[in-house]
Amino acid sequence: MGARIAAASALTSHGLRMPTARRLADAAARACLAHAGKESRDVDMLINAGVYREDNMGEPALAALVQEDIGANLGQPPVKGHGTFSFDLMNGACGVITAIQLEAGLLRSGVIQLGAIVTSDVHPHLTDPRSAPFRPTGGALLLGWEDSIAGFSDFYVQTFPEYQDLFASGLVWQERRGPRVPLRARGRSHMAIDEKPGYHARLADCAEETTRRFLHRLGMRMGEIDLLVPAPSAAGFLDILMARLGVPGDRVAYVPEDLEAAHTTGPIASVQAAIKSGRLGEARNTLLLAAGAGITVAVALYRQAPS
Amino acid sequence: MAGTRSNEASHWLALESRDAAGNWGCRIESVGVKLPAGKLTTRNLMTHTKHRTKIQLERLTGIHERYVVGPGENSLTLAAGAARDCLAHSQHQAHDIEMLISTSITRSTAQSWQSFEPPLSLHIKQAIGATQAVNFDLSNACAGMLTGVFVLQDLITRGEISCGMVVSGEYISHLSWNAARQIRSLFSKQLASLTLGDAGAAVIVERAPSGAPGIDVIGFTTLAEHSRLCLAFPSTVGPGAQMYTKSRELQKVAIQDMAPLVAEVIGEAGIALDDIDFLIPHQTSARAIRQGAQEFARRLGAKPKHIVVNLEEYGNTSSTTLFVALHKYLTEQRMHKGDRVMLLALASGIEIVIAVFTVDSQVDQYGRTDCRRQRAD
Repeated sequence: MGARIAAASALTSHGLRMPTARRLADAAARACLAHAGKESRDVDMLINAGVYREDNMGEPALAALVQEDIGANLGQPPVKGHGTFSFDLMNGACGVITAIQLEAGLLRSGVIQLGAIVTSDVHPHLTDPRSAPFRPTGGALLLGWEDSIAGFSDFYVQTFPEYQDLFASGLVWQERRGPRVPLRARGRSHMAIDEKPGYHARLADCAEETTRRFLHRLGMRMGEIDLLVPAPSAAGFLDILMARLGVPGDRVAYVPEDLEAAHTTGPIASVQAAIKSGRLGEARNTLLLAAGAGITVAVALYRQAPS
Repeated sequence: MAGTRSNEASHWLALESRDAAGNWGCRIESVGVKLPAGKLTTRNLMTHTKHRTKIQLERLTGIHERYVVGPGENSLTLAAGAARDCLAHSQHQAHDIEMLISTSITRSTAQSWQSFEPPLSLHIKQAIGATQAVNFDLSNACAGMLTGVFVLQDLITRGEISCGMVVSGEYISHLSWNAARQIRSLFSKQLASLTLGDAGAAVIVERAPSGAPGIDVIGFTTLAEHSRLCLAFPSTVGPGAQMYTKSRELQKVAIQDMAPLVAEVIGEAGIALDDIDFLIPHQTSARAIRQGAQEFARRLGAKPKHIVVNLEEYGNTSSTTLFVALHKYLTEQRMHKGDRVMLLALASGIEIVIAVFTVDSQVDQYGRTDCRRQRAD
């Protein structure tokens, strides 16, 4: 018995006239529900794990807006009934795996029956428009409960704060100067993203160490992992990691080229690729791995075998 | 209800309760607060409005003053300070914390810098030495801290972890200054921004000893049809943010929809509303809290013994309000073992989280001469 991936959907901003974080998440959520044959009212919990929005809205949680857009259990609560609860979770590129861990737990407890995770990142007002190291993308993942498989059985997260300066982002206030600056436009908060050289190589080091520790804890060898579902998919990270762990290319879920530069959507894009190729269904043991700022590495074991 | 997978959902709220057989109990072990150095009276704030507003804010909201950050203070220092205070009242050390969740809406780590990546929780755990903790940020407006408790409760009752911390540092007084530059009348959508104060709060949630009282029930829902009634985003008027709230509509929806949800929670706990010794609601305005309480009494046929309002001294401190109020009552030794407390978070979204817990040994850690913090002092 365990939490099972019901569907995954990742998309780029291609085709959207004005790609906003909300619209990307909405579109991915609708596509994912359609793939799974579910209605929005079936969703008990919705976590948004995206980070970068065009307006950098602080509240409400973007998840609540997505819940409204897809029409998940709106209206006044009756005495008895069935609601949806939503919130945002921010853990950079590892946010999806953290969200899976929380939803898998609540599925196990029986608090929820169907959980949704959405992601999206767009280019916010940047100090340097060339500095965004990602492409606008959105994703959605649905998790249900399955009695016949172990599903998501184990999670592990490791942080390497000694490398926290290698990737940092934040909003910085920039004031307009001049004699005729109106009160309503005295300045603007711009997003500054600073990725230092060598970041991806260091990510690979940390990801290797975390993976080995995780497998050691579980008493498993890398050879027992049938499929690696990694994020990010950048060659500067993935090629090094595969070589270090000794994972052959036929055991890796490769995302399409247009989703290679996804940020928080990365893990969902990889899961989607694994589903589309048919390899997720065939693999007994699948390792989801995400690495990002912090440096933080999150891994999860997904077992198709019975628990 | 925890542990009842096969049951059809019979609640509007997603509910976690302690009565599921075989699960661990869960309790709030300690609460910490960090108040910033400065204070700002409502009278002083209103003298800084650009336009002559004629708004009698103190009479309208019940807020006399609020704490505001001084030089060198920000979301991180408030959060880290609260986390240290929480540990000082706790039996736990920093290295016992297995999961640390930061729920700050604001994420300032320096002057005019809001950190997005790495998450603020990483900075906090480094600051307090909780190096073993898994960390992430959770954002759910003013319901953030109680959402974090909801998350920890599930992990603890399933035995996945035994001790976690939820922490928030809210440096939000810049919204007041930005609003003061623009507000013209009582009907401004930025009026609520004038009620805000800064504060940090932290709570340790742990596995309760067998048979010990703790969190009886916690429920959560999002009334997303009203998601756009309160919006906050970076300002173009000055550093920080600005917030637009349809306060009357928000209050109307909250009063209408909250009563059946409170009924679900107390029904799950097997109690009546008058069994609640202390109701701690989200602190918005004294008038709104009074109206809400009257509606509860009318619709549920009972009222809690005491409703906590601390607006006069703190204002609305956003995601930290419930735990700032709880900390105040613990330090003033107004709570006793066996008292039943309801925490009621209402936030933009509209997010509603309701928790009921029974006070136990945590009162020993506040105000007694053998408290570890006082020994250290």
